[in-house]
Amino acid sequence: MALMSIDSLAVQQRLFDASLEIHEGEVLGLIGPNGAGKSTLLNAITGLLPRSGRISLDGQSLEQLGSLQRARQIALQPQFIESVWALSVHDIVSMGRLPWGDSDQSIIRQVMEQANITEFAARHVDELSGGERARVWLARVLANQPRVLLVDEPVANLDIHYQQEVMQILVDYARAGHAVVIAIHDLSLAARYCDRLCLMDNGRIVKTDTIGAVLSSEILSPVFNVEVYVDLENQPPVVLAQ
Amino acid sequence: MEKLLNPALLLLLLLVALLSLTIGTLDLDVSSALANWFSNLLTGEVLTREALIVGEIRLPRTLLALVVGAAMGMSGAALQGLLRNPLVDPGLIGASQGAALGAALVFYFNIFPGLGTLATPIAGLVGAALTLFILMGLSGSMARPAIIIMAGLAISTLSSALLAVVLNFAPNPYAMQELVFWLLGSVSNRGLDNLAILFPAFVIGSIMLLTQRKLLLGLSLGEQVADSMGLEVTKRGRYIVLGTALLVGSSVAVAGNIGFIGLIVPHLMRPLVRYRPDRLLLPSALAGAVFVLLADILVRQLPPERELKLGVLTALVGAPFFVWLVWKERQRWL
Repeated sequence: MALMSIDSLAVQQRLFDASLEIHEGEVLGLIGPNGAGKSTLLNAITGLLPRSGRISLDGQSLEQLGSLQRARQIALQPQFIESVWALSVHDIVSMGRLPWGDSDQSIIRQVMEQANITEFAARHVDELSGGERARVWLARVLANQPRVLLVDEPVANLDIHYQQEVMQILVDYARAGHAVVIAIHDLSLAARYCDRLCLMDNGRIVKTDTIGAVLSSEILSPVFNVEVYVDLENQPPVVLAQ
Repeated sequence: MEKLLNPALLLLLLLVALLSLTIGTLDLDVSSALANWFSNLLTGEVLTREALIVGEIRLPRTLLALVVGAAMGMSGAALQGLLRNPLVDPGLIGASQGAALGAALVFYFNIFPGLGTLATPIAGLVGAALTLFILMGLSGSMARPAIIIMAGLAISTLSSALLAVVLNFAPNPYAMQELVFWLLGSVSNRGLDNLAILFPAFVIGSIMLLTQRKLLLGLSLGEQVADSMGLEVTKRGRYIVLGTALLVGSSVAVAGNIGFIGLIVPHLMRPLVRYRPDRLLLPSALAGAVFVLLADILVRQLPPERELKLGVLTALVGAPFFVWLVWKERQRWL
């Protein structure tokens, strides 16, 4: 049985009839051009937008959960995030425990190690570089320990080293009995790290399938409106606009 | 060190309060005067002249300054956290003007006569709450700092204009003078009965704010994150607005406009609580109380013929501080 089943999910004017299953242990990539509805889908699953349709987690409807209960199961890492105040790294990671109402130090220590930010736990977040900050935001959602982790463009502003590091952290999290959904523009990274892909266009899901079935020039070119070059045999796989 | 902050501020508050009770034109023994005043309350013992001065003049003034300062300090800290903007002050975003407008309308035209002495504070509260809700509506849910300041400016301009209309149609020059002096902000010549209104409003408002500390912390990373963590920003944000309105509305109704405390005090306290918006509330209340009382002690030292109003003094100190804050903010974006 799927960990999360999404059935005919819709958000007025932005998302239409989206149905999707998310399985335990997998990394599902959401791909598609700008404005395809990837962020809308993530926000709608999180409950941030008025939506219609059904979402169930472990067979239980999300509507039956209170907001805090939902937040313990499903966590969202938005694309744009910043801290208004110069909080310490440790304080920001601890915020992941807000839905649980505790400050479980062993979980906080563990996710800081996973994200490789233990050494600057006491520093203020505004003193860190972009790549360091991205790992702090990530540690915050990991501390939430959600069953389903939704991440919107986690690597968009990172150099290639941090891109790999962040993607690997997400894969590890999925493998540890959770599920991760990533909205991602970099199709080569999607091919390398995701287990399945969901291609979206104009607020609709075009196709949800394995990497090989979704990443082909015939499918991608009309959606992205550009000739796409795909070489999945290469290590690492290459998917680029021609 | 952070753990010692609140106890240290509380100690400072008690010392300043003692100083405030001691300082005056007449040199007297505060402890015996207070003891006499309290035993008069309990057993009806005859009041000494010293007890009368301390109990009926200095004590109300001291307590009012403390409560008004605490209310302004805490509401500033809460509003800055809610709106995620260090430049927010109840006076800068129109809440104080709204409260003043509500209170002035009642004060003048005797609306709600059935409410008696409660009419002015309630009108102040309604005025503050209305301006804050209009502000939130106008600036939108995902408001950027600049939009909030702009919306606040628009609203405070509007309420100032309406206040000018009220002044314009003053029934007589004395009423107008009284209103203008009251608007300048002061805690002098006010009896303990004012505390009967201010104190409950302060307690309820503070509890409303203190129970929303989690939301203030969550909002550090933006509304989207706070909402995704199940903190129900819209619903719980209303508690903060109402709590702030209670604090600001009742303070302004009793003491007029004591400006800039809500801006300066949270700013000074923030580094001491490691920038945590949830931990900022209590220190800001305590430091706000100390700050306003110190300012009032200073006002009392000036020649009595032409009293400098407390609100004028806090504005004189606060406005340059605001200029400095804007300057610093500018450096950050260069």
